[in-house]
Amino acid sequence: MFWPKRIGSGIAAIAVCFLIDSITHHSFGSYEQRIIALVGIYVTLAVSLNLINGITGQFSIGHAAFYQVGAYLAGFISRRYITDAGHTPPPVLWLIGMILVAAAGASIAGFIVGLPSLRLKGDYLAIVTLGFGEIIRILVQNTDALGGSYALDKIPKIQEIWLIWLLAFICIAVCRNLLKTARGLTFLAVREDEIASSAMGVNVTRVKVTAFVLGSAFAGAAGALLAHYEGLITPATFTMDVSFIILTMVVLGGTGSITGSVVSAIFLSYLPEYLRTLKGGDGQPLVVSGTAVVAALIVTVLAVAAIKTVLNRHLFTPQKRGLIYVGIIIGAAMLEPLFSLLLHPVPMLANMQVAAAQLRMVIFAVTLIVLMLLRPQGVFAHHEFSWDWVKKILGKGPVPSTEVSA
Amino acid sequence: MSLLKLNEATIRFGGLIAVNKVSFELKKGDLFGLIGPNGAGKTTCFNLITGVYKPTDGQILFDGKDITGTPSNKIANLGISRTFQNIRLFKALSVLENVIVGGFLRNNTGLLSSLAYLPGAINETEEMKQEALRLLDVLNLRQVANVRSADLSYGMQRRLEIARAMATKPKLLLLDEPAAGMNPQEKEELNVMVKKIRDEHGMTVLLIEHDMRFVMSLCENIVVLDHGEEIAQGPPAAIRNDPKVIAAYLGEAV
Ligand SMILES: Nc1ncnc2c1ncn2[C@@H]1O[C@H](COP(=O)(O)OP(=O)(O)OP(=O)(O)O)[C@@H](O)[C@H]1O
Ligand SMILES: [Mg+2]
Repeated sequence: MFWPKRIGSGIAAIAVCFLIDSITHHSFGSYEQRIIALVGIYVTLAVSLNLINGITGQFSIGHAAFYQVGAYLAGFISRRYITDAGHTPPPVLWLIGMILVAAAGASIAGFIVGLPSLRLKGDYLAIVTLGFGEIIRILVQNTDALGGSYALDKIPKIQEIWLIWLLAFICIAVCRNLLKTARGLTFLAVREDEIASSAMGVNVTRVKVTAFVLGSAFAGAAGALLAHYEGLITPATFTMDVSFIILTMVVLGGTGSITGSVVSAIFLSYLPEYLRTLKGGDGQPLVVSGTAVVAALIVTVLAVAAIKTVLNRHLFTPQKRGLIYVGIIIGAAMLEPLFSLLLHPVPMLANMQVAAAQLRMVIFAVTLIVLMLLRPQGVFAHHEFSWDWVKKILGKGPVPSTEVSA
Repeated sequence: MSLLKLNEATIRFGGLIAVNKVSFELKKGDLFGLIGPNGAGKTTCFNLITGVYKPTDGQILFDGKDITGTPSNKIANLGISRTFQNIRLFKALSVLENVIVGGFLRNNTGLLSSLAYLPGAINETEEMKQEALRLLDVLNLRQVANVRSADLSYGMQRRLEIARAMATKPKLLLLDEPAAGMNPQEKEELNVMVKKIRDEHGMTVLLIEHDMRFVMSLCENIVVLDHGEEIAQGPPAAIRNDPKVIAAYLGEAV
């Protein structure tokens, strides 16, 4: 009874991926197709970082490094073997092979970075992982065979959106599976308390290194897919920014929650593309006033801090709370003219224009600040999507707090 | 036969000698007490036995084996488990999940089985869950099995610490102030439970406790530490009248 069921769900997952693929190809142009591919890649990246950061509690912030190792490893081999040497392997099989090679390569990198996590905690580990990311990027930038700071180009394009999404599904399934078994609880235990974990016989070293190896393997695999989707990769694709964006996805979704990582990866990787499509009145890409951005930033942060202190002291009804929020938004809107007025004597600042597409980082920053103040546990906290949960929202059935429940 | 033997165990933190040449011996089936004023070095003794710290000098023998300097997780696998004075539960996990982690060290299935959610890992998880539930019955925690452990009352958290430690099926159970923060009724129940743990579950127990009535009524043998040094050892009646012990506690009723 087990295997038929398992094979059935495997086939179903592949079918869904093919469905996504064919809908994408039939209904969208190449621009939208690329967005759908990138969103899939970011889901894998966020969920795999969540395994290291959220589930095992190792504060790693250099995830782009593993992504880059995978991308360059697969890209380089493909370019040499197919473009330069002129071999013609079956593309899909070749790509699957490259995914595995990239995963293996990145997991070795993950192992090496995982080692300091045995001695370092929190901020210190974060600095090491960040440094590692930069080292990898700079190494690549200075290696001519990898295209140096320009690009590794002429990578054969093998654009399989279904494979991208299949990898995302596999990554999600692997993390979920882990958490459904007793072994997964030991990962959470290491996050909660290392001393108590080892007193209970948990091999803390092994758990941490496993998390790093697995998480980076998935990031590497995602890199292989990116390299073959784009046909060209540059060191600029793997900067600290990218690591931060992946980290933001994990934190925003709620560290430890796979569902949260998936949802916020989809949302945050789509957001910049959405902003880019916004058009102003003249049909040109939307441009907003810099003073408005600054005003909005300052007001949000101050307002949230204020709400936090006030709401903690007084118990407002949800209605009153809603009114307060609306008031703050109106206030923020009114502040813009005030700012313009104040900045009027400095024409350079007053006339500063910002393309909407550039607002991405501002929105990330504001979202994170607001989140940390109002809901530090993340949007989904430690909750996972489950059908019981849907039933509960529909008004029946209890919610299990975690996977293994009595 | 001796189960645990400390042989002049010593540890220095800089200039402070927290435990100084402490020697005592537990036989299988003992219910042993470790007492002493604040800062005497009791918890540090536990940390030495469980491998949190490596002794600067001396040996620790368990079940005939030298375990001096062995890492914590290996010591747990050899059969020593403990609770913590400053409760160290896995806060975000449920009561049941905490106990499952304790029982995980007997796992037989590999990582792959878990990642692929294969029957091996599924069945093993189910067995560990059932086993954990039985332990929750023993410690009277069954009804809160699915509660987040951080949300439990203080007394329940202490009992959960014991359940989690017992889940490793240790030969030797170390309890660090298990009755701290409990009301008299809870203490009474705990007293009965600890006896049961020794008599029915066959575990040897070494416990630290400040409540003298509790220790004296429960333990058959007691070691007293003061400023890292062992000042007395013997049955409760002898300890109670030992002038050195009385002096260490500055005339408090012992
Ligand atoms: N890691 C450490 N570094 C430095 N000093 C330490 C360390 N651990 C314990 N000590 C010191 O060792 C001494 C003994 O501490 P310990 O915790 O063993 O006392 P205790 O007998 O358990 O006391 P209490 O009854 O208050 O729990 C104390 O002076 C403590 O400050
Ligand atoms: Mg102590």
